[in-house]
Amino acid sequence: MKVARVRAERFGGIVELQRPRALLHVDREMMRELGEPESPLWDLPEEGPLSAPTEVHVVLSRRCAAGCKGCYVDATPQGAALPFEDACRILDELAAMGVFHVALGGGEALELDYLFAVAAHARSKGITPNLTTSGLGVDEAAARKCAVFGQINVSVDGVGPAYEKARGFDGFRHAERALRLLRAVKPEVGVNCVVSRSSFDQVPEVARLVRNLRLNELELLRFKPVGRGARLDEELTQEQARELFPMARRLVFRHRIRVKLDCSFAPMVFWHKPSRTAAAFFGVQGCVGGDVLAAVQPEGAFTGCSFTAQAAADARVEGSMKTAWPGAFREFRDYVAAAPEPCASCDYLRLCRGGCRAVSAAHGAFAAPDPGCPRVQEYRAGEMMAAAQPRLRVPRKLHVL
Amino acid sequence: MKLFRRGRVLQATFGCNPNSSSLGVDVTFLLFGAVFASAMAVLLGSLLRRDRR
Repeated sequence: MKVARVRAERFGGIVELQRPRALLHVDREMMRELGEPESPLWDLPEEGPLSAPTEVHVVLSRRCAAGCKGCYVDATPQGAALPFEDACRILDELAAMGVFHVALGGGEALELDYLFAVAAHARSKGITPNLTTSGLGVDEAAARKCAVFGQINVSVDGVGPAYEKARGFDGFRHAERALRLLRAVKPEVGVNCVVSRSSFDQVPEVARLVRNLRLNELELLRFKPVGRGARLDEELTQEQARELFPMARRLVFRHRIRVKLDCSFAPMVFWHKPSRTAAAFFGVQGCVGGDVLAAVQPEGAFTGCSFTAQAAADARVEGSMKTAWPGAFREFRDYVAAAPEPCASCDYLRLCRGGCRAVSAAHGAFAAPDPGCPRVQEYRAGEMMAAAQPRLRVPRKLHVL
Repeated sequence: MKLFRRGRVLQATFGCNPNSSSLGVDVTFLLFGAVFASAMAVLLGSLLRRDRR
């Protein structure tokens, strides 16, 4: 076990391990046992936001030639890009704040000729750069350069013709080739699969691909109605939302692969009432925007997550992210304390945190419970039933009796 | 008498997240349940103390 970095927090601290690659939250006593100096944060209550995000999604550009029909950043071939100098300066500030990981993406980040220089800069500052790509343009030389990244995931929303149906362009061959080339270079290569209403049934085929190519993970991402996705009617049906977690379990057992679900799927998992102890220990959480996670947009906006637009600062201005962080993103952080029903009475509220704020916002109310949550759907159906039921009135004759 | 309390590992997340949304659920680990999580906390705590920098 090799410790790479340690960061003090109110509850104790976060220890970054290099081998195995992990982030451990430890209490104050463990920090002292590790020989860490006393932190002023330990004079504060243990509950509270982190001193900095642990991971930041840096959206390097809205530039991509693929033109996927559900692209959440609305990327186009001429889309905006974060200049190299700005990207490096932002990474400097994130490193000074103590951020451990960045997810570099877009758009198609590989279309930027300075992507590898940005990744190398992150490494030089002690931040692990990770990458999501469509795989378009990955050749042997590019694959070799990708060794600089921690984890690389290639987007595959279906196998063969199902890929084109899901994304709107025929890119499966490119994606599969990219996966083979990248896997030849490093073992930390996986697949991102956006699960939508029409791609739901194709997920097992994608899992088979992950097993056959000996990839290290399948990450299932929830379709979110933002960007170009707002024009599509692709959110999961109620039945699909309930079936998602059992399907993910089956894929783990059947294919012996690691399956992960993004934070927006938390309500679909907690509806099945898994162990709260295990969930808390393994960091299973709903929306962690503006706390564990933050994002930087190509135009410089520092946001709580990459699916929301409300900026707390202009990340291109030196020192702005660090200054804004402690008091920023209240709309994310305060959800649990002010949660409406049915979240307020849910045993999993502190873990689920009300599901996905971006999805709620897309449905009209940022601070409302996630409309895709099965519990919320049941609650609303119950309310509608109660409202529709005629009031029972006792006939006068019965009063006489 | 002041009792000595050993430090604890509170949470463990493995791997790196390359995505725009945060890593929410590692289904593989969640399947093992509470007993496994408790055992992991003890094991990781022991290894951390042993390999402290």
